[in-house]
Amino acid sequence: MLANFRSRLQTGTGGFWNWLPLVPFLAITLAIMVLPISFMLEGSFRSSDGLFTFENYLQMKAPLYTQSFRNSILLSGITALLGTLLGTAVGYFTFRIRSGRIKELVITLCDVTSNFSGAPLAFAFIVVLGSNGVLTLFLTEYFGWKIYPAFSVYSFWGLVLAYTYFQLPLMVLLVLPAIAGLKDEWREAALGLGANARAYWRYIGLPVLAPAILANLLLLFANAFGAYATAYTLTGSRFNLVTLQLGSLLTGEVLRDPGAGDAMGVLTLGLMGLTISLYQLASRRARRWRQ
Amino acid sequence: MKNRNPAGTVSILLFLGYMFLPILATYIFSVAVRWDRSILPEGLTLDWYRTAFQDRWFLIVFTHSITLSAATVLTSVVLIVPTAYWVHLRLPKALPLLNLISTLPFAIPAVVLALGLIKLYGQGPLQLARTPPMLVLAYVIFTLPFMYRPVASSLEAVDVRRLTEAAQSLGASWPRTLVQVILPNIMPGILSGGLLVFATVFGEFTLATLLVGARYKTFPMQLVYYTRRDGRIASAYSVISFTVAWVTSLIILWVATWGTRRSAGRGVQGELASQQASVGGTV
Repeated sequence: MLANFRSRLQTGTGGFWNWLPLVPFLAITLAIMVLPISFMLEGSFRSSDGLFTFENYLQMKAPLYTQSFRNSILLSGITALLGTLLGTAVGYFTFRIRSGRIKELVITLCDVTSNFSGAPLAFAFIVVLGSNGVLTLFLTEYFGWKIYPAFSVYSFWGLVLAYTYFQLPLMVLLVLPAIAGLKDEWREAALGLGANARAYWRYIGLPVLAPAILANLLLLFANAFGAYATAYTLTGSRFNLVTLQLGSLLTGEVLRDPGAGDAMGVLTLGLMGLTISLYQLASRRARRWRQ
Repeated sequence: MKNRNPAGTVSILLFLGYMFLPILATYIFSVAVRWDRSILPEGLTLDWYRTAFQDRWFLIVFTHSITLSAATVLTSVVLIVPTAYWVHLRLPKALPLLNLISTLPFAIPAVVLALGLIKLYGQGPLQLARTPPMLVLAYVIFTLPFMYRPVASSLEAVDVRRLTEAAQSLGASWPRTLVQVILPNIMPGILSGGLLVFATVFGEFTLATLLVGARYKTFPMQLVYYTRRDGRIASAYSVISFTVAWVTSLIILWVATWGTRRSAGRGVQGELASQQASVGGTV
């Protein structure tokens, strides 16, 4: 029996035995990812007395929930757009840097800073832009510009600045390979045929980059939508975001029925799933230009 | 670049300023006597670090975070490396499944994962979902893309099949082939994956606070606590967090260039970017 098993392993004929080594990995995936998500999905269709219902989803029409989704979508959308626009520009200028050493330094910096996130980053923004922050004081002293109370680091626009901090270098890293993929011959051919730089970008450069840029925009959106730690450190649970709502539900700061939490979780997953699927589509298209 | 493209120079300098200012300010704040009423800090001191270190919680939360990171890296390597090796060698038709599974965590925010885990394992007297081992398993799934991707691309870069055949024709057993032949060849992938997982778990706040919370306080939890209580100690904690993050990033980069040099110049940049893309999950 054992000899038989061994020889099967070694010749690789037994299709079933070949799947056996995958069991631990698949079991963990099932137990920690698939089943919990399935339970949440199932729970979102159950009322508190265990009957099938759509009530949890209908509840999502309440201002509390619509507002949290609106805020989350706005925050993620704005910081993804800012990250994409600025990141593409910085990526392009970085690509054009002639000195290889400086270029490498900028890329390394992006690599390092895109890892700065969550609680320490939020605190760094309090140091810089809090009501007694370094930059706050500097602007007041030298320019007589009191940014408070019109601006607050603990508000929506404070979150925008902090989120953009981790979106921007990520975008630079993501867009650089696409920019490097623009072939010099295309540019030379276009210029040889009488195009100016503007026409080159309008008709060749940007259309080629477009799928990659769109893909990365979607990735940044998902990146921001799921974020929790940065927003929690800056605003506590005061600001109404989807992740903060779900978090306060879990820590029991607010006692609400679990069905609504499940429905909210499922809607979030739906939105994330859609974004990531579109990202996959766009990045597949983006790869067409690269060999 | 300087003369030819002023717009480029200015953009890059502004970008560098945006990236450096918060970090630099936090480092200085952590050694400043006071820096909340004047443009320049009022004197330098190491008192905040001393206060932070003397607090009995410091050692506890630091140990907790290091333990979680190490346990996650270990579990992840043991679980993923043999699986990825086997699939690349013997079961290529399972590759799409593995790729799909290792992309899924991107689409699942930490809060939603925590919600599902508590839903399924939070009941009963044991409250499994609220225990550190469950947190480690959640981290293994959460960081799956960081570990799987570099390992998979290392496996693709070396000819696993030929190496295995060679080892076995010389009489090596399966475990011996994996440990003595395959592992050394894919070490760069395992190292960069492992380091990324380590750094991610060390700085992770969301899953830790929502699953185990005060039962097993971690470094980031204590940092968040101090941001509300004492900014000076919070700054010392932040500096330690930042330092762990950038030192790990630099080692990962160094390992990546080392690995690329070994496997004959495959695109590091794309590789790194795709690894980085997954980092966002921690925010």
